[in-house]
This record gives sequence, C-alpha cells and structure tokens, in this order.
Amino acid sequence: MNHEEIKSVVQEKFLSSERVTAFLTDAKVLHPEWVKRDRLLAIVEYGDEKAVFCLFSSCYPPKSFTDLSIEIVLPIDNSFKCEIDNKPSDPEAILYLNLQSQNNKFKFEIQMTPRVDSFVDELFRGIEAVNKVPTQPEFVWLKKYNVKDENDIIAESIVLPRSGIFNVPNSAPVAIRESLIKRKMCDKEAEYTFTKKFTVFCGTWNVNDKSPNIPLKGWLSVDKEPPDIYAIGFQELDLSKETFLFDQTFREDEWYCAVLNYIDKRGKYVKVEKVRLVGMMLIVLIKEKHYPYVRNIVCDTVGTGIMGKMGNKGGVSIRFDLHNTSVCFVNSHLAAHVEEYERRNQDFRDICNRTRFPQINQQPKAIKDHDHIYWLGDLNYRITELDPVAVKKLVNENNFGPVLEWDQLRQQHKSNNVFAGYHEGIISFKPTYKYDPGTDNWDSSEKHRAPAWCDRIFWKGEHITQLDYRSHPALNISDHKPVSAIFSSEIKIINEEKYRKVYEEVIKQLDKLENELIPQVKVDITEVDFGTVRYLELQVRSITIKNTGKLPVEFEFIKKLDETNFCKEWLIVEPYKKCICADETCEIQLKVLINKTSACKMNAGTDKLYDILVLHLYGGKDIFITVNGTYQRSCFGCSIEVLVNLNIPIREVPVGKLVELENKRDQYVSNQSTYSIPKEIWFLVDHIYLHGLKEPNLFEQPGLHSEVLQIRDWLDTGSIDPIPGSIHSVAEALLLLLESTVDPIIPYNLQSVCLRASANYLQCKQIIMELPEFRKNVFLYLCEFLQEALQHSAENGLDSKTLSTLFGAIFLRDNPNLIQEPQSRINKQVIDKKKAQFVYHFLVNDHSDLIFAK
Amino acid sequence: MSREFDHLFKLLIIGDSGVGKSCLLLRFADNTFSGSYITTIGVDFKIRTLEINGERVKLQIWDTAGQERFRTITSTYYRGTHGVIVVYDVTNGESFANVKRWLHEIEQNCDVVNKVLVGNKNDCPSRKVVVTEDAQRFANQMNIPLFETSAKENINVEEMFLTITKMVLRSKLEMKERQNVTANDVVNIRKSGHKSKKKCCQ
Repeated sequence: MNHEEIKSVVQEKFLSSERVTAFLTDAKVLHPEWVKRDRLLAIVEYGDEKAVFCLFSSCYPPKSFTDLSIEIVLPIDNSFKCEIDNKPSDPEAILYLNLQSQNNKFKFEIQMTPRVDSFVDELFRGIEAVNKVPTQPEFVWLKKYNVKDENDIIAESIVLPRSGIFNVPNSAPVAIRESLIKRKMCDKEAEYTFTKKFTVFCGTWNVNDKSPNIPLKGWLSVDKEPPDIYAIGFQELDLSKETFLFDQTFREDEWYCAVLNYIDKRGKYVKVEKVRLVGMMLIVLIKEKHYPYVRNIVCDTVGTGIMGKMGNKGGVSIRFDLHNTSVCFVNSHLAAHVEEYERRNQDFRDICNRTRFPQINQQPKAIKDHDHIYWLGDLNYRITELDPVAVKKLVNENNFGPVLEWDQLRQQHKSNNVFAGYHEGIISFKPTYKYDPGTDNWDSSEKHRAPAWCDRIFWKGEHITQLDYRSHPALNISDHKPVSAIFSSEIKIINEEKYRKVYEEVIKQLDKLENELIPQVKVDITEVDFGTVRYLELQVRSITIKNTGKLPVEFEFIKKLDETNFCKEWLIVEPYKKCICADETCEIQLKVLINKTSACKMNAGTDKLYDILVLHLYGGKDIFITVNGTYQRSCFGCSIEVLVNLNIPIREVPVGKLVELENKRDQYVSNQSTYSIPKEIWFLVDHIYLHGLKEPNLFEQPGLHSEVLQIRDWLDTGSIDPIPGSIHSVAEALLLLLESTVDPIIPYNLQSVCLRASANYLQCKQIIMELPEFRKNVFLYLCEFLQEALQHSAENGLDSKTLSTLFGAIFLRDNPNLIQEPQSRINKQVIDKKKAQFVYHFLVNDHSDLIFAK
Repeated sequence: MSREFDHLFKLLIIGDSGVGKSCLLLRFADNTFSGSYITTIGVDFKIRTLEINGERVKLQIWDTAGQERFRTITSTYYRGTHGVIVVYDVTNGESFANVKRWLHEIEQNCDVVNKVLVGNKNDCPSRKVVVTEDAQRFANQMNIPLFETSAKENINVEEMFLTITKMVLRSKLEMKERQNVTANDVVNIRKSGHKSKKKCCQ
C-alpha cells in the first residue's frame, strides 16, 4: 500500500467536511516506560480549526477505515505546543515530536521522510493561524472523537501490559502502576507546590592558563545579597600538553580554593558538584540551608575538540533537582577562530545531543529535559563584517548597539541556528576579549582582531529573571575578562502536607480503578428452589450470570473444603466453567435428578435436597448459590426390610419415621413383619401375572418413562385405581424397583459365594436357603413368577437364558461402594455369565421344596 | 522505585448479617455509601493501598456473607488472613451477643491473627442499644481494640482500618525481628564454637 492509499483509508474515517491535510505513517507514541508502535498521525481540518489525530489499527497498514481507532486527539488551540528534537545518535533518521495541548503531553517518534517536512509545516501553519484569532476556537466537531477519558486509557494500560505495549529495551521494568502514579503526580504538580525565588549567580572566565594570583572578590562577591547558588565556569585552566593528554592539573584545586576563598562570605556554602574536562571546569555551590533539598546530582562532560572528541573544546555540565525543580548548568568552550561560527553551532548541538545524565530506573536525562538551564562559557563567537578599528572606537564610546548587530552569536541565535529557546540578557559591558594580559588594553599582537563578546551566559526555562549581566574588567590576568549574571529563579517547592494529600488522592484513584477492574457479575437468582422433586424425574432451572464489569470474566463452580465435587451427586450444572465477555450473559442450567443412589440417601436421611454452590470468578469474588427442594418420598430407593414393614403407602409415612425405619432395618425380625414380600413388588408382579404373561417381548420392550412415573406415584400413594400404563411400563417399573433397593436381593457379601457356586444347583439352593426370610421370599416369589412367564414363551417370546441374564444382574448387583479393580471386559463377561447361571437353576428346576421348607 | 507495595495483607470482615460489613468496606475502599441494603451472598473483596511510616501496604479486604446458612462455607475463607474485623450493629443487641460466636469462629479457623471489634451504625444515639461501656468492657476482657463507627456518616472508619493495618504490620515486623534474633543466635553459637576451637589448637 502506498502513502496515498493509506491516506484515503484514513480520510474515510472522517466526515467529508473534515479534511486530512497532512499525514504520517510509522509513528510511535513514547511513554516513559513503553512504546506504542505502528501509529498514524494525521492533521485534520474542519473549517478554520485543526487537530492532530493519532490512530491505530489491528493490522498495519490499515486496510479499511473500520479497523482504524482514534487513540489521541490534540486540538491545535492556544495551548497547543510543538517541539522537535533529533535523535542524538542518528539525527538524520529519527525525529521526536513533542506535542502538547490542554495539559496532555505526548511524545512521538517519527521516521525522517520527505513527508515529515510538509507535516511539520502544516502543524506550524495551524499554530500560527490559531494564535492570530482572538477568540479560542471551540472544536465542537472534535467532541464526537473524544470517546475515551484519561482514566480509560490508564485502565487499559493497567490491564493490557503485554498486548500492544512494549517495554523499551534497556530500561528497567517499572510497574505500570508506579509510572501511572508518577505521571499523575506530575500532572498535579501545581496542586502541591509553591514557588520561592532563589538567586543564582553564574560566572564564566577564560583564565588563559593562569594561576589565581589575584583576589576574585570583584567577580564573585559584588552583589547586595549573597546568592543562593553559585555556578562558576572556567575555560583554559591549563593549556599544557600533559593536561590535554592525561586530564590532570593542579590548577583544578588552585582555582577551586580561590573560588571558595572569594565567594560571598556572608553566606555559608557547600559544594553541590565540581566537574572538569581538560581546561573546562564547572563548580556549583549552594547555601548550606538549601542542600538538604538537593537530590539526584549528576554531571557529564562532552569533548568536541580535536577529531570532534577531545576535551580541548566541549562542555561540562552538572544537573540536580532542587526541591521540585530540575536545574542544569552547562559550561562550554566552543570552537575558536573568527570564521568558525558554523563549527561553534555544531559544538553546541553536539554538547546538547551527547550530554546524558543517567537516572535511576529512568531513561537518562538530556540537557533539554530540565526546568531551568543555565549555559555559560567561552562561546567564542566574534564580530564579523566590521573593521576592528571601528569596533574599538564604538565600544570605547560604550556604543555597543551597532557592534552587537554584527555579533555572530546574536545573528545565529536570531535565526535559531544555536541556543534555540534560550534567552540572553542585554549586553551593556565591553567586549571581554581580547586584552593584553594584566591590562585593560586591547590585544596588541599582529593579528589585530576585533574585540568580541566571547564570554556569555544564556538561560532557558520559565520563571527566570535576569537581574544583572556584567563583566569584571578589573580582573585582568587573562586575555579574557570574567563575566557574571545574577538571576532570580522561581523554584517549585513541595508543600509536604499538600503533597501527601494529592499523593493519597492519586493512590485512591488508582485503587478505585483497580477495584473497578475486579471481575464483577450479577447473578439473577442466588436461591434456586426446585419445589417438589420426585424419583427419576429430571427437573431443570436456569440462572443467568451477567458480566457487569469492564473485562471478560471467567467463572467456575469450585469445590468447598473437604468435598470431592463442587456439587451434590443429584445435581448437574451446565456449564460449570466458562468465560463471559463484558456486558454479555451466560445461562447456566441446574438439573436435579434423584436416582437410586441419591434416593437411598434421601430416604435414610443422610442427604437432603439442599446444596450451596460456590460460583468463583477468577481474580474476583465468590457468589454462593443455594439450591433446595423437597424430595417426594417413594418406594424406590427403600430397603426391602422397610418395604415389607410398611402397611400404608409410603407417602403417608412421616419423613422422620421413614428415616428411623431405614436406620434400624438390620434389626427386623422376619416373622414380625407385616408382609412376607413388599406389597409394591406384589402389585407389579401380580398385575403382569394377571394381564401380561402373554404379552410379546415381555421384559424386553422398554416402557414409557411417563407411564413408569405414573406407576411410581400409583405405588407411593396407594391408589385404588387400576395400575396405569402398559404391561411393558409395569415390567420396567418392576425392574427399576428391584434395582433401586438399598441392598440387592442377594446381599453384596454373598455375591462371590454365589458366583463360585453357580455351576452347582445344590450349592445355590443351599445359599438361598440361608438367606434372610424376606429376601428368600422375594427371590423365590420372583423365580416362581418367571417360571410361570416361561410357560408362555410361545406368546411372550421369553426364554430362560434371556431372563436369567436379566434377573441375574438384578439379584446379584455389583456393590457400587466397593472399589474394585477395573474389570476387564472378558472378566465381566465371565461374572455376568455366572450370575445368569446362578439364576438359571431356579428358572428351570422345580424348587417347590424350598418354598415348602418354610 | 519500581515497587508496587512493600506488604500485602489480607483482612477479613465478619459479623452477623446486616451489621454493615459491606458498607464499611465500600466506605473505606471507594469512599461511598449506599443506603439500600443488598445482602452479600458470597465473599467479595476490594483493595486499598496505604502508606504507613513510609511503607506501602496493599490491603486486600474480604467481605463475607453474614448469614447463618453460609457459616461453614465462609469459615474456609479465614485461611491466610492477617487481620479480622468483627462487626456488630450498635442498634442490635443480638448482633453484639453473637460477637462471642464470631470470635470463636476465628479461633477455630485461624492461627495467630490480629482482631478489632467494630460497633457499626453508631450514628443515631436514640436507636443505640449496645452501650459503649459494655462493649468496651467486653473488648478489654478479650484484649481487642474497640471502634464505634458509622459507615454512613464516615465516622471512625478510616481510623479503624488504619489501626488493624498497623497492628498487622507491627506483628509482621516483630516476627521478622524474632527471626533475625534467632538467626543471630545461630551465628553467635557458631562464632563461639570457632573461638573455642582456636583455643584448643593453641
């Protein structure tokens, strides 16, 4: 895709009345801790109003305007500011664009392409235009684009630290929350700081290889009040080859001591820092009382001399934070020779680009990153185009104006080639170079140079006022005169109490954000009542979970302590785990089914239809969902012992009574019980005996589930109506009833004995003989009935093999509580065969002797 | 600088249903109050960061369902708790009478843990039935600090949370100190052992 194609995609994002006038691709948004790549920058015009948009897309370059999202909108209004920096290491290829509008600051990294020029031009045209208009434009058309407030952006950056945001390589990873705090505190600086005026003395002197053999009082201590800060720069401390090569000189200490001797004695000063490169030295002193508020002192040196690297020329600098203001002092000695102003401009840029102050856990700071910058030194700019004699004449008459017209530095500064953004005070002193040392006479050597203001002091930053700017001609040991300036600078001071307050507010705000990001859902029902639940009758209820938070939420029903499953065995929860997107809902089905296992527990009172589910949100809260219902008691799931002792329908038995009966079923004595077999079995068997022995496919064709449930109710209520449903449903009800009893008819503990005896009818008979009375009764009664059914095999299609297999599995049920080794299929087949064989004996042999034995 | 917090503490709020546990949390974490009563069905938490003596403390405060039927489940959330806030309602004598049971719950489910007793809804003197003196006597007896608060009027809430946090922080620092002391003892024993060995050599 070429530039124009992308531009047309971007244009589509806007209304036709909103015109994209300039546009850049491959931009990056730089935050202190991360970088957002692949951004598009566009200047959009609507009528007279312009704004800068930063856009991004999921795929780059964007194929369609629907994929474009607007990330940043900066209206070009009165508050709009634009600063441009080069990348120090690669000034040709990378450009940094600092844009600021209405307290929103952003830094963009841009690839240098020919289009950048037209973009920047467009930007400045916009700024010029808006500054000409007396009334502030309203930017009504932008309102529709300002979709996100700052907190959303912050929230996103908390949430999405890994997607789309990359850590800047080589920078220490800082918790995003931490950087947000810093950023917020920075934005609110005005709320917790006040300003106080500090006087700053800046002095510079090229001492031309001289030792300090004269008093310096006339330079360093001439003001009414002692300054709060001294920044004193020297050049050409030592011109010896040794110093140049080994960077060692005794002059450092000499001049340092001299400074300490001659600074204003009314103030008590301590050293902030001292730095030297070959002949350039910078000393910063501060009043002792301010020293506790000085932090992060760092210095750096840059050589721009021979080969662009050596320290015969260059700059030395010291930075520190004073209270809440960052301050930087630079002392430089720029390239010499009258014609070399371009070279001096270049030295200035090199010093700017190469000076770096390492910071803890932050990107290194450059000179420009400071609130207050003072730049002093032998800048070496000269007077050109004017005859030296004329210059001398004019300056001797103190008529500096015409000469300063031709001052290279003035000229270069004016055309922004050097010291862009810096200020210099009015020069009302004679040129400081070049004199015959020891005199106030202009240099008398053959060169006949025009005198020049080589030694200068510049500053940059808000709330700095220069009080005085002067030279000190009485100090005449060098071919330069010393220069000094006094500033009154407003330093931001933290009001600890207010700071605390603002800090706490910021922390609270972030906590609030974090709390809002904790997963939140709304569950419509937390108490699910199933009402009356009957045996084998599936009941379904649903609950709805709505994600009311800002993020996708993953939920799961979790186990309670000491429980193996998250819910009771009679409950099914679907889905029990899922992810829900913001504002979306999920329906969860809760199904209750009481089968024989749970029915036995319900009847015995060891379980009830009550459960509390714990719905857990990952990274968030737990919600308790209570499930309850009333189990309708049924003969299904009772023990044979209890059934034979119930002479009333089971529904009429009080719950407590049933529980009591179930719990003491082992104590029943057979001859005292009400019936010899459970009446429910008798009803079903008798019905089939009377009406269904000739029914084809008896016991093989399944019944209808609904009819089985009707039969269940018929049995449980003791209805006097005829049994409902077809023969097949009755047959199925019989099988289900026999299967549901707490114990099988032949108790679990006898199963293995039975299986061993299965080949031997006599042994099988022996086992049956020894069964407890009701069980023997039920067994023999059913076998008799089955023999009867086999008499009609011609009609009902039954055969003894099928029946013995079917009933073998019922009479000799496997114990579900016994943890068995997984049976192999063959082993299971053998066991099933043996069970069938056991029953088979009783279907084909006459066992009336057993019945009569009773 | 790149630290998000120096300490992370888990606090738990327990007490009878309706005494204002969630409101206390809401007041402390979000500085909001809602008069409409919504029973907490489950356990919820919020975070708040405090700075105490220059140390950044992040609190994760768990609010539990007070209803009796959830008692067994909520008790499982006591694990890993650094501090427990036991809340009663000064206008409800029964909720105060139940404090003993809640303290018993703590004993059953936690090891050593810091506690505060909080009489909430202390904003309407005419409806107050649990008199401060009784509550204070009980608190003294149990050796637990007492706070009478109002989440509604934002009375004493901040102070109460700050106190329990300081208690938890102090416990942690004391524990650390004890560990250091024992560690030093070990070193000392070794040192003296070393010395005596030297003597033997001589």
